[in-house]
Amino acid sequence: MEKFKNNPLVKKIGYNRVILIGVMLLIYVFFSVGSGRILGYADIMSALNYACFLGFLTLGVTFVIGTGGIDFSIGPVMFAAALIGGRLLTKNGCPVIVALLVCILVGTAFGIMNGFLVAYMELPSFISSMALMMLAKGVGSVFTSTQTIKWPQLTDENGLGWYRNLIRWDAGNGVTIPVGLILLLITAVICGIILNNTKAGRYILCLGSNKEAVRLSGVNVRIWQMLAYVLCGTLAGMAAIMYVGAYTTVQPGLGDTFNNEAIASCVMGGTSMSGGIASISGSIIGVFIVSLLQVGILAMGFQKDYQYVITGIIVILAVFADVRSRRRAN
Amino acid sequence: MGDVILTMKGIDKSFPGVHALDHVDLEVRKGEVHALMGENGAGKSTLMKVLTGIYKKDAGTIIFEGKEVEFANPREAQSHGIVIVHQELNMLNHLTVAQNIFIGRESMSGKLINDAKMNEEAKKLFKQLNIDIDPTEKMGNLTVGKQQMCEIAKAISHEAKVIIFDEPSAALTEAEIEELFKIIRDLRKKQLGIVYISHRMDEIKVITDRVTVMRDGGYVGTLITEECTKDDIISMMVGRVIYEDPKTESAVPKDAPVVLKVENLCAGKMVRNVSFELRKGEILGFSGLMGAGRTETARALFGADPKDSGKIYINGKEVDIKSPRDAVAHGIGYLSEDRKRYGIVVGKSVSENTTMASLLEFMKGLFINKKKESSTTKEYVELLKTKTPSVDQLVVNLSGGNQQKVVIAKWLVKNCDILIFDEPTRGIDVGAKSEIYHLMNELAAEGKSIIMISSEMTEILRMSDRIIVMCEGRKTGEIDISEATQERIMHAATLRD
Repeated sequence: MEKFKNNPLVKKIGYNRVILIGVMLLIYVFFSVGSGRILGYADIMSALNYACFLGFLTLGVTFVIGTGGIDFSIGPVMFAAALIGGRLLTKNGCPVIVALLVCILVGTAFGIMNGFLVAYMELPSFISSMALMMLAKGVGSVFTSTQTIKWPQLTDENGLGWYRNLIRWDAGNGVTIPVGLILLLITAVICGIILNNTKAGRYILCLGSNKEAVRLSGVNVRIWQMLAYVLCGTLAGMAAIMYVGAYTTVQPGLGDTFNNEAIASCVMGGTSMSGGIASISGSIIGVFIVSLLQVGILAMGFQKDYQYVITGIIVILAVFADVRSRRRAN
Repeated sequence: MGDVILTMKGIDKSFPGVHALDHVDLEVRKGEVHALMGENGAGKSTLMKVLTGIYKKDAGTIIFEGKEVEFANPREAQSHGIVIVHQELNMLNHLTVAQNIFIGRESMSGKLINDAKMNEEAKKLFKQLNIDIDPTEKMGNLTVGKQQMCEIAKAISHEAKVIIFDEPSAALTEAEIEELFKIIRDLRKKQLGIVYISHRMDEIKVITDRVTVMRDGGYVGTLITEECTKDDIISMMVGRVIYEDPKTESAVPKDAPVVLKVENLCAGKMVRNVSFELRKGEILGFSGLMGAGRTETARALFGADPKDSGKIYINGKEVDIKSPRDAVAHGIGYLSEDRKRYGIVVGKSVSENTTMASLLEFMKGLFINKKKESSTTKEYVELLKTKTPSVDQLVVNLSGGNQQKVVIAKWLVKNCDILIFDEPTRGIDVGAKSEIYHLMNELAAEGKSIIMISSEMTEILRMSDRIIVMCEGRKTGEIDISEATQERIMHAATLRD
């Protein structure tokens, strides 16, 4: 075990991440055996659809958890963004590009509200994001008069369906390019750079570890704390684009299960719930695990509920490992 | 005074690196109020914790009512009749007075709690003590003084034979203190043994029968209060031999420019009209007993806590400091007494902590220049002789002294001219201590100005060019090092209005 831990390659990738990748492969093999067929192209593509929007949500919430906070509003915020953007597109004749921008802006707006409440009004993030979750659900419903919004299909006669290429682009000759995955990975790299190489990321993680010490170093902690929530909201807005790109249909009043899945992915990936430590690559692997679970369980013919059971168990194990490693460090 | 009820003899207790109690004796008689005195860290609290079973003694005997005892925990001590009334009251504000008094032993009728009966019992108890408190009142609505009376009533209800008061008057008003004394005299009449821990010299004279003085974990002596003066007690408290050479003369020229001037600073209850000046290259010591308001003064000055009024001048110009950000921008750095909470980010690396206050200087466009960051950190690690395997090491893995050096490096990188060292050597071993002293002297010689808050008399006398003494939020003395003695400082530190 020690030898494995000290293997240079393992050290480079990170022991936890190696374990996670192992878990991911294990799940893949398990489902392949369980469903009696190798999970193939279609399943992977289906998993990717899920991974794309969940990935954006998870990247966002990684920043917030890095500050030692939590955001329970991202799922409904994503839906509110998709609903508002979709309604402007389908009922008000907005150009597609504007609708997409609106999606992102709605996310940013919620992020600003949440960040302001937490950093400046000093509300616990648990409470403020819970309130914003309800607000987002409500706003989405009111704006659409509680009607399901259907974003245009790729085959839309007015050519409004091009945005779906942002998830998957059919390049002809049967070649499909997973644009969504590429966008997610690019965004992840950018997030990684923000977190590890900029002032914002540095202060976000430091204040997650000891806010008072950072404040007493003469740093404006409020603005950096707020920024984490703004980033999170903006990424939830982008997740909305990924969601409609994959599924087109959005129902008002839903979305909270995605918070939990995003937070679960994040924690699995090694981001500490008590703040200060965050891993973007870990979050991405976590997203793949959750997405694979989702597809695999369905492939085995079980209901989605089993996915929650397994995700729950994995989260408990991940948090337990985090708590234990910190106790040992003390 | 009646018979001896409690004898502690030759009590010895060591913690890793500290000999906290060195053969301490204490004798308490029935119907006696016995003062336990000593400076901060003299070992009073440790002795009481040994008595009530919070700490296990290494050697010595405790004889209570003629029998040798050793309590495993405070609960056991309580059931034998030894109770502490703590300085910080442990009351549940949302419960009623009676519920608080009988917590853990509620009157029951069947499976349900019988509040009426508890109220009745509490009423009887208060009557017996001549206290006027409504048992059904919520604890949170009472004043601190009344809450303390409830705590005393709770002690009595445990059939206490010895009550220990740990600085009971610290949070009370004059009138409340009077009332407290009345109750204590009552208890004395009832033949209870009372241990009274306090820093307030005049109270000792008023309420106590005998005084036991401790110093640096050792037993100094016991006096009969009536027969001794305040000066006798002070000289027993401070009469240590100072091994390290104290400074005899200020190293600062008389005409050195004033870099910081504080005028009538007020902040809450703990900072009342504090004024002082700090000269270039000076180490200004802040002395005083626990709760004198020194840290609060520093925090208000630094903008860490809001201030009510007062003016601050830096290099002759009035400045408005509203937050630590403003203070840092004006070249002030603050090294907190509580490093782990306020000084360092333990989960982060040495270099991340070192550049915390001056990250702007390490930016290349949008990105942090990690190369420059680590080379600068290395420079300071070498300069301060910080012992760390690398600059990427997490600070949590460093010793206290080295953590302190990381905090110092943080402010040096920021190039602060005014440094506030709050208990700079607390929790630091002897070797690292003298290194920190050396460093402070060097910084002062380079022209930095230092405010040093310290509860250690030796440290104050060794390091300071000038000493400000505080008591209960007010400045009660300003002494040049050439005229400073332990007695003079202690006098000022116990000077109440």
